[in-house]
Amino acid sequence: MSLPPGQRLRSCGRLPARCATQVTRRQPLVVSPCLPLLLLMLLLLGGCHSGDSRTPTDEDPLVISAALDLDVVAPLLDAFRQAYPQIPLRFEDRTTREVDDSVVGHLAGGGVEGEGTSRAPDVVISSAMPWQMARVNEGLARRLNGPEIERWPEWARWRDEVFAFTFEPVVMAYRLDLSRHMLPPQTHGDLHALLATQARWLTGKVTTYSPLSSGVGYTLAQQDARYSSRFWELVGAMGRVDTRLETTTRAMLEGLSQGRYWLGYNLLGSYAMVYAQEHPEVIVQVPRDYSLVLMRMAFVHRDAPHVEAAETFVRFLLSQRGQRVLAGQTPLFSVLPGVTGPYTAARLRTQVGERLYPILPNATLLAFVDPARREAFTDHWRARFQGEQALDEAVERGSGALAPE
Amino acid sequence: MIEVEGSLKRRLGGWLVVTVGVLGLALMVEAWVSSQRAAARAFDAQLQAAALTIAEAVRWQDGIPQVVVPAAALQILATDSQARVFYAVLDDDGRTLSRNWPVDIPVAWQQALDEGGMSRDLTTTLGELRLHAQRVASAGWVTQLPVQVWVGHTLEGRRALARSLFERSLSRFIAMVLLTGVLMGLTMRAALSPLRRLRRQIRGRGADDFSPLAARVPKELHELAQALDHLFARQRQGREDLLRFTADASHQLKTPLAGLKTVSELGLRSSDPDEWRQALTRVHARAEDTSRLAGQLLSLARLRHLDRETALPALDLGELVRDVALDWAARERAAEHDLGLGSLPAEPLKVCVEGWALREALGNLIDNALRYTPTGCEITLHLSREGDWARLSIVDDGPGVADAALATLGQPFQRGGRQDTEGSGLGLAIVDTTARRMGARVQFANRSPQGLEVVLWLPLAKDEQDVTGAFAAGVNPGEST
Repeated sequence: MSLPPGQRLRSCGRLPARCATQVTRRQPLVVSPCLPLLLLMLLLLGGCHSGDSRTPTDEDPLVISAALDLDVVAPLLDAFRQAYPQIPLRFEDRTTREVDDSVVGHLAGGGVEGEGTSRAPDVVISSAMPWQMARVNEGLARRLNGPEIERWPEWARWRDEVFAFTFEPVVMAYRLDLSRHMLPPQTHGDLHALLATQARWLTGKVTTYSPLSSGVGYTLAQQDARYSSRFWELVGAMGRVDTRLETTTRAMLEGLSQGRYWLGYNLLGSYAMVYAQEHPEVIVQVPRDYSLVLMRMAFVHRDAPHVEAAETFVRFLLSQRGQRVLAGQTPLFSVLPGVTGPYTAARLRTQVGERLYPILPNATLLAFVDPARREAFTDHWRARFQGEQALDEAVERGSGALAPE
Repeated sequence: MIEVEGSLKRRLGGWLVVTVGVLGLALMVEAWVSSQRAAARAFDAQLQAAALTIAEAVRWQDGIPQVVVPAAALQILATDSQARVFYAVLDDDGRTLSRNWPVDIPVAWQQALDEGGMSRDLTTTLGELRLHAQRVASAGWVTQLPVQVWVGHTLEGRRALARSLFERSLSRFIAMVLLTGVLMGLTMRAALSPLRRLRRQIRGRGADDFSPLAARVPKELHELAQALDHLFARQRQGREDLLRFTADASHQLKTPLAGLKTVSELGLRSSDPDEWRQALTRVHARAEDTSRLAGQLLSLARLRHLDRETALPALDLGELVRDVALDWAARERAAEHDLGLGSLPAEPLKVCVEGWALREALGNLIDNALRYTPTGCEITLHLSREGDWARLSIVDDGPGVADAALATLGQPFQRGGRQDTEGSGLGLAIVDTTARRMGARVQFANRSPQGLEVVLWLPLAKDEQDVTGAFAAGVNPGEST
């Protein structure tokens, strides 16, 4: 137990966490009748046990690989540290693609043992819902159980392996300057009309998520295309005003704040609302016809080095306590019924009405990561954005561009 | 000795358990198999639907297949139970057009796949998969490469559905068993209640209560109740016999004792030693008679307890009748009557009875005739054979008996309705009892123009056979005449 972490790793090897749980589970069954032997076994196995189940230490903390801004989630992490001061954690704020890479990075076999890149993260949080679903479908998540899991809404979990724990409306945002020249858009139709009629003012001043290089942007575009057949017209109109493509909401917000952009489409409401509070020049508009809702998903990695700590974190995240922090101190909106605070899904629904269309964690998301489908969709999007019309209807329909018959 | 052998309730319960156990096992196996089958059918249909949906999305551009996986197909594939889903679209050469998961599909399966489709179970690192494949070819202007659509999902949904179907059948079955048990208990309570009633009734009877049962019983218990009733009747009869016998015995002893008393008083009153001697002689004779009578009564009493199987020697009835007749004719009391023998059969009639008992009965009958007929009357003894029976009759030409009194003549203290005699009224009763002991029957009938005939029917000994059989006379001799 006094061994340094590196040596411990070598002595037990890179055994998957499963090994540790097997040892600890079988042990009492075999030797429970004779207590002294049990104690002896515990003493002998103690080193390997603690080394393999790996209680997080300062040198080897619980790693959370997340596509979630640290300053947004900081209150939640603080609450966790307060509740579990013995669990040191490292929050790695990454892009969705980096997060997805980190999930499978250790499986590729590259990297030196013990190095950060080759080990799996403990907890994975990402807003790129289709990719999270795909990894879970591939069996890379641990199934959890417990009272917090059972209380979690059925529609916001899949196989008890992955949990959608936020409820973030997708919004439009505009700079105050815009409203001096035109009526700010309130619906997708308004936006389309503005892009068509006010191209003089708006050219180069519109921004949106890139469906080509951002997982979130791609997901939102796919979902938009599923809900509205006129989405492609909007894409074409955005292309005509030379819309700038960004990969993060933060970049779009900063652009608006600095005056580079006047209008942003498909921003994550969670970030935008907080940002708008501090930047009065940015106005957030929840579309009044329909508004997509993105749900960030978290799971415990199958090969998590700190299984127990990771499960503790996710349970805390889903617990009343965690969700109260989420609803009270972060703009992520809690979906847990009974939680009160300024940011809850229930409250959002009463404010915005029934036009919220959450993207639910279910198997349909798996289609979005299908390479052939993705390629067809991005090809079509690019063509529309660049003003080409010549694409057959079948591709539009097949890729979800048209509403289902 | 009553031995308790098992319990009806336990036996019925045991049968119920065995029946339910065997039946239940069969039912459970059936339910398990059919729930598995039903779940498999339901989920295979989902697989087929998903495969079809993906197949519909295949497009051929210039003869080259392209597929854009429809999102709905994956939701169908995942089902409500959120199974892991797998899909692959391959061309006939095994090249992948689209797939979500590197599951290796055995080449043999790929080659065997035809338009009919194929369902297979495949074990992967993530557990068991149920696969369904469909081969899609589309007619077209240019030659088109057919594609294979493979879809699959993990088995949680099937298992959960099968389990819930099975649990439902199981709970139904358990409820049925419990209900059957309760009903069985109630039925048994109800079925055994007549027995309980009977038990209560018998327990509640007084020690000397031999009256027939008055109980409502089901058909199954009727024979038992009847047997009990017969037992009571026999006991009643036995008790009555005993009482009558005791009364008879007392009566028989009382008369000679009274005579002794009289003779001894007369002797004491005189002072002549000769008269003393005479009295003593008479006392002695009387005492001898009395002791003989007491001895006979004792024997009679013992006879009641004698084993009926005991063999008795056969004796000649004709000789006995002659002896008795001669004995009585010589007596002083018969002097005023005309006591005679009627017809006697030539051959000997053998009967298996106690000689002394028959003598006693016959004597009683003669004594009776002498006592109840006026002087000068004719008393004749007849003996004849009728079938297996000997017919011994004592006929007098006295006044006879009122027809109404005939039936009760055999009962004690009847005296044929007459109060004018010195008889005790027990003579014929003793005859009746004795006859019954011997297996004989007594019949009383008035004669015309006047007189009474008492007939004693005695079963004849079966010469070559077991003589005890004679006691078990089946035919009532009275009815045969």
